Amino acid sequence: MRNSFFIILIIALLICSLGVLSIYSSTYQKEGKPWQTVFQRQILWIIFGLLLFSIVSNMSYRRFWDWTYFLYIAALFFLLLVFLLGTVRLGAQRWLRLGWFNFQPSELAKLAMAIFLARYFSRKSSDDIDLSCSKFGIFSAVILPFFFTALPLSLIIEQPDLGSGVLLLLLFISMLYLTRVRLKYIITLVAGIILPLPFMWHFLRDYQKDRLLVFLNPNIDPLGAGYTVIQSKIAIGSGGLFGKGWLAGTQSQLHFLPEAHTDFIFATFCEEWGFLGGAVLLFLYFLLIRQGFLIAQRTQDSFGKLLAFGITLMLSIQIAINIAMNLGLAPVVGIPLPLMSYGGSSIFITFIALGILANIDKTRAVF
Amino acid sequence: MRIRVVTWLVTGMFLLLIFGLLNLEVIHGRAYRDLGNKNCVRLIGQDGSRGRIIDRQGGVIAASKLSYDFMILPQDQPQEEKIISSASRILHKSVKDLKNAFKNNYISSSLPVMLARSISIKEAIALDELKVDLPAIIVQPNPVRHYPYAKLACHILGYVGEIDRWRLTKLEDYGYKTKDIVGFGGVEEKYDYYLRQEEGGTSFEVDHRGKFIRTLGFRPPLNGKDIQLTLDIKIQKIAEDYLSGRKGSVVIMDPYTGEIFAMASAPGFSPSVFAEKNNSAISGLFNNSNSPLMNRAISGAYPPGSVFKLVVAAAALENKKINLNTSFLCQGATLVGRRQFKCWSTHGQQNLLEAITHSCDVFFYKTGLLVGPQVLHDYALKFGFSRTTSFELPYEVPGFIPSPLWRKINKFKNWFDGDTANLSIGQGEVLATPLQIARMTAVFANDGFLVRPYIVKTIDGRDISAYQRKLEKLNLKKATVEHIREGLEKVVNAPTGTASVLSGLAVNIAGKTGTAQAPPGQSHGWFAGFFPLKNPKFVICVFLERGSSGHVACVVTKQIIQEMLNQGLI
Repeated sequence: MRNSFFIILIIALLICSLGVLSIYSSTYQKEGKPWQTVFQRQILWIIFGLLLFSIVSNMSYRRFWDWTYFLYIAALFFLLLVFLLGTVRLGAQRWLRLGWFNFQPSELAKLAMAIFLARYFSRKSSDDIDLSCSKFGIFSAVILPFFFTALPLSLIIEQPDLGSGVLLLLLFISMLYLTRVRLKYIITLVAGIILPLPFMWHFLRDYQKDRLLVFLNPNIDPLGAGYTVIQSKIAIGSGGLFGKGWLAGTQSQLHFLPEAHTDFIFATFCEEWGFLGGAVLLFLYFLLIRQGFLIAQRTQDSFGKLLAFGITLMLSIQIAINIAMNLGLAPVVGIPLPLMSYGGSSIFITFIALGILANIDKTRAVF
Repeated sequence: MRIRVVTWLVTGMFLLLIFGLLNLEVIHGRAYRDLGNKNCVRLIGQDGSRGRIIDRQGGVIAASKLSYDFMILPQDQPQEEKIISSASRILHKSVKDLKNAFKNNYISSSLPVMLARSISIKEAIALDELKVDLPAIIVQPNPVRHYPYAKLACHILGYVGEIDRWRLTKLEDYGYKTKDIVGFGGVEEKYDYYLRQEEGGTSFEVDHRGKFIRTLGFRPPLNGKDIQLTLDIKIQKIAEDYLSGRKGSVVIMDPYTGEIFAMASAPGFSPSVFAEKNNSAISGLFNNSNSPLMNRAISGAYPPGSVFKLVVAAAALENKKINLNTSFLCQGATLVGRRQFKCWSTHGQQNLLEAITHSCDVFFYKTGLLVGPQVLHDYALKFGFSRTTSFELPYEVPGFIPSPLWRKINKFKNWFDGDTANLSIGQGEVLATPLQIARMTAVFANDGFLVRPYIVKTIDGRDISAYQRKLEKLNLKKATVEHIREGLEKVVNAPTGTASVLSGLAVNIAGKTGTAQAPPGQSHGWFAGFFPLKNPKFVICVFLERGSSGHVACVVTKQIIQEMLNQGLI
């Protein structure tokens, strides 16, 4: 009964501890006090995250139904605030300074959108098992929700954070697909997004163009934009079958790999633990995602079902983009690996999302 | 339905990621590991020293001397100014020069920058002392080829230099790399594989800025193996001294074993200009029309002239075309076909011994015609002409002996008696190297054995003479060898002999002179002989290119032997 709660908890803790090991390994060679405490802070975030997880999992997810608009507006508000007060780091304005904590509102926006979309598509049938949005016209099925998605999306892309933007878009499309909106509406929407893309090229920042070009061929600029991809591939590839051993990875230890403790933590991990370690990590993520899908399928309530799908998809898209980017299979974007990468916002939001998942499974039996 | 599609999509995505991981880590893992090592492992090489070349008594002819290079490791930027200013005081070089050198040689912050090459040992020690305060200083010892006797035996040694493209393509599989120092010509080239050192060095790990992290390992460099020659420095020096100022070659050899005691060729060169990379001197050597880089003893083929008459005499005696009593009348010339063939003098009635003594051309024209060109050719080959002596040093030429068949095939011409007459006195198309002549002479000193000349006695202390010595019995009749040897003795000892100038020495000599016409220009002078007469210890062949006559060669021979006597070497 409370089975899924523990399964999610154990898997998440396992992944988190692997993450802490890798963060420790990638920073312990660096000099200076702030670097030495990075892993300690990550442990702190994880403890807070666990606290959030247990609170949220004991709080009926139905409350989010009521809070949807509040959350949505709060997310928009924070995104706007980033424009006004945001800290510029690594060439992007993504963080808000809240006392001693750097908050990343786009993380919040992801979860808020998942909740918002779940509510939007299930509003007419809150006590009905069947989702009736297949009867929606194109306006209410596609255009209106797209407008609501586009608001935070455009703010995020302006930060600029193309990765999170694309993630939101993918989340929106896949949720549309799951709500049984007519396929032709979805195809119209996707076509409407893809067709103007070549014109959008001119609106991309220079570094974004570079990254896309470099994704197609990393060797055009091996010391500039392509450097990260090349170093990441070297780090992963040099791990071999069994890896170089913990604290023995040269790529991450000697700082050839940039962002080794955040976006490229997967490369750090694979260098030291090899293919076997990487496969185990992927398997853990797979189990977590599978758990999410199982919960979604078990749930009869349409809001809960959609929300579970939304959260699971959000996590799986993040994992997929991040790992693919580490492997050189996707362009470099600023998306962290949930539960592994260093960063408070990501850890908190992920644990809240997992808490909602656990609660959906728990309250399912109440109905 | 749609749910299942999404689930499958997500599962497929995970499979894709697993496959991507497998591809990167397992299938291409090795390549990426190499790339990773390239990122963080740096090597500072240290050369061992090339093997020495020593003579039969152990005297060093070529060795490696340490020269010191002054480099700095630029990673600690603030030190560089200080180092340059204090180094300029020690090296007596301007700060500007050193700064320019630093700028020009800078590659990356992790690689040492060369500031000055071949500094003296005093300067090296002074700089090394600065290291306490300025650890970025590197003073690296660097072996350089050094020749204690300067030009001595230069053709035997060869020289060393950076490997060229042609050699590199051939030797890559044997561990040779670009910029390796290899031997060119002589023993340096032939035994490069033994002489060459193995590079050692220190490998260390650096971070992404090229900053030193830790030492990974040190491999001591291996020195090359020493090679001992059969050469005797003293004899070599005497030979070179008396040859200097002329063009030509002197070969002194053990008649029984083929050991080379001395092999001089003039003009010579100084091998150290190659080691010091003195470019103008090097191009001067290559452009010199006297070809000082050529070892005339093995790479120069010249008409042997009268020295070749020994082969004719042996062929005639062996085939019983003549005996000791056969005599021909020399009237200063003889008619062969419709052409007059001249003798260098008028000798009157001559038998074999007299003909050898006086080097009578008419006698040998007639003898050669009796023997016939094909047999002469075959005997010449038997005595080792027209093929290399399988001597060890590179670039030996085979020389040449013409034959009627060769003439027909290659020139579409017939062979005439006049050609036989020319062949009989070692003129015309006959070409031989001084080493071949020395070897042919040795046959009469050692009772009929053709030796294989060799020059390397031991490699790395191991005696290889047993592999080097190869004697070929020529199956000449004992009488033939004895008669010709008697003739050779008379050449020197008879008052009318062509080499009578050699008779006054404290050692008995036997030999044969030769004056080979090689128009246009002066004749070549030859003397080939052996001494002492009883139990010969040395075979000598003196060849003077454009040296006017055999008489001059005799004079040089006399000077050499006299000096050897003075030094008690015989």
